[in-house]
This record gives sequence, C-alpha cells and structure tokens, in this order.
Amino acid sequence: MTIYNIYIFDRMGTLLFHTNWNRLKQSGMSSEEEAKLMYGMLFSIKSFVSKISPLDPKRGFLCYKTNKYALHYYESLTGVKFILNTDISVKNVRDLLHQLYKEIYVEYVVKNTECTMGQPIESELFKLKLDLFIKQNMKSLQ
Amino acid sequence: MSAEDVLFDMLHSEIVSYLVSKSAEDEDISILEHLGYSCGWRLIERITKELPRYKEELEILKFICTDFWSCVYKKQVDNLRTNHQGVYVLHDNEFRFFSKLSNGTQYLKSAPKYATFTCGLIRGALENFGISSIVTVEIIRMPSCKFHIQVLPSSS
Repeated sequence: MTIYNIYIFDRMGTLLFHTNWNRLKQSGMSSEEEAKLMYGMLFSIKSFVSKISPLDPKRGFLCYKTNKYALHYYESLTGVKFILNTDISVKNVRDLLHQLYKEIYVEYVVKNTECTMGQPIESELFKLKLDLFIKQNMKSLQ
Repeated sequence: MSAEDVLFDMLHSEIVSYLVSKSAEDEDISILEHLGYSCGWRLIERITKELPRYKEELEILKFICTDFWSCVYKKQVDNLRTNHQGVYVLHDNEFRFFSKLSNGTQYLKSAPKYATFTCGLIRGALENFGISSIVTVEIIRMPSCKFHIQVLPSSS
C-alpha cells in the first residue's frame, strides 16, 4: 500500500501543487515539463474517453492502471483536477480525492485570501494538512 | 461550518484585501478599524437587549470574552488577563480569521490586517458600554492572537 505522488491542476492547466512521497524512479525532466506532459496526457485521455464511449460517459475518465502503478483522477465541477499515483492494490481512491478536495483544498486554499487563484499554492498550512490527510487515510485505502 | 459563517469569513477577507489594495499602507488600518467599531457598537446593542445591566468593568470584559465572542467567532476567548489598572489582554488560541491562513509564521506580515476589524469590534462594543479604550493586537504565531485593551479614564 503506497501513495507515490499527487498533482493538482486548475481549469487552465496550471500546476497548482505537486509533491512526492515514495517515488523511486524520476522522469529525468524538469517538474514543469513533467507537469505539462501530465496535463497534456490527461487532456487527451479525457477527450478520447468521451469520444469513444458507446454510452453517455457521465463521470468520464476515472483512472488507469499499469502493472506497477495506478493513476487516479478526480475533477471537481469547477475544473480543479487531482491526480494521485498509487500502487495497484489501492481501492476507494475516488472518495478519498473527493474528500481531499472538500476538506483540504477548499478549506485551506479557497478560504485563504493570501492564496491567489490560478497561482501555485504556497501555503505551508495547506502542505501540512495535505500530508497529514494522506498519512491518516493510508489505512482506509486497503 | 454553516453557509453564513463562510459568507462572513469571505466578505471579511475581501473587504480587507480591497481596502489594502485601494489605500496607502497606514490609511487602510483606520478604515477597517472604523468598520469594526461601528459593527461592534451596533452589535452589542442587539446582543444585550435581553440581558440585565452590567456594572463592573471586569464583568463587561468577561461578557465580551464569552457571549460576544461566541456570537461573532463561535467560540470563547481562551484567556483573559488584567492588571486591575485598566489593561486587559484577550488571548484567543485559535483566532477564526487565522485558522485557514497559517499554522506558524508564514504570512505573519499580512496578519495584522486580518485582526484590525476585530480590534475595532472590541473597541466599539466597549464604547457602547461607556468604556473608552484603545485596542491593539499582538501576533507572534498564528493562529493564536492577543488583543490588548487599554481602558482610558472616563471623562464624565
């Protein structure tokens, strides 16, 4: 049971936040470049999923899995995107991401006027709470 | 936290950032303080309408720390100290306007502007009880906050 890293993007594709916990393999590029690549891929997957879906896709793209890790995707109605990479045994990540959006992002970013919207998040309190949240919820994911 | 609490928080922080962006640095504080003053003055009228008359200064300060504070900030002041010579210190360990901001010294520079309204609020409330005062704020580490109240000798 491992959580590797998290990315938060806003509606325009700006990387708001990124952190690593147990990442063993580095991508070998700068984190901005990596973020662009990540956002581009997600954008493509989203449009791919909605075009190719035989039925109304409703919630759209949710996650993908390789044999080593799983990428979980959650998008709020306002277009804030949360991407969490975990190992493949993890379950219920959607609820977790929704909770993270509600309890951490909204509380410590949206309600903090010192955080400018559309700018990378610099609040130490947010970072602290996020870290705590992930560590506390490790168990519920198994 | 209910919807109206969030609305108050957001309106407050928008007023703060609007006034700060609009006026020069030493001016903004006085406008905010005045807003708080007149809010406090009116608010105390509303809260105390059912209450018996207080006489002692200390009792009034206690009322500010308990009823008044929980009406505005949904909690009581954690600590009230006095030197019995007109100086009171209200200590709130988790001041509402700081609780989403920081847990330490980040944003410390902009912290006072989030407490100015409250300084006025206290001053206005006391004024309506017939106590003239000077209220200042001291912030060392968020989210805790200390309000110093210096009661002025009454002119009457």
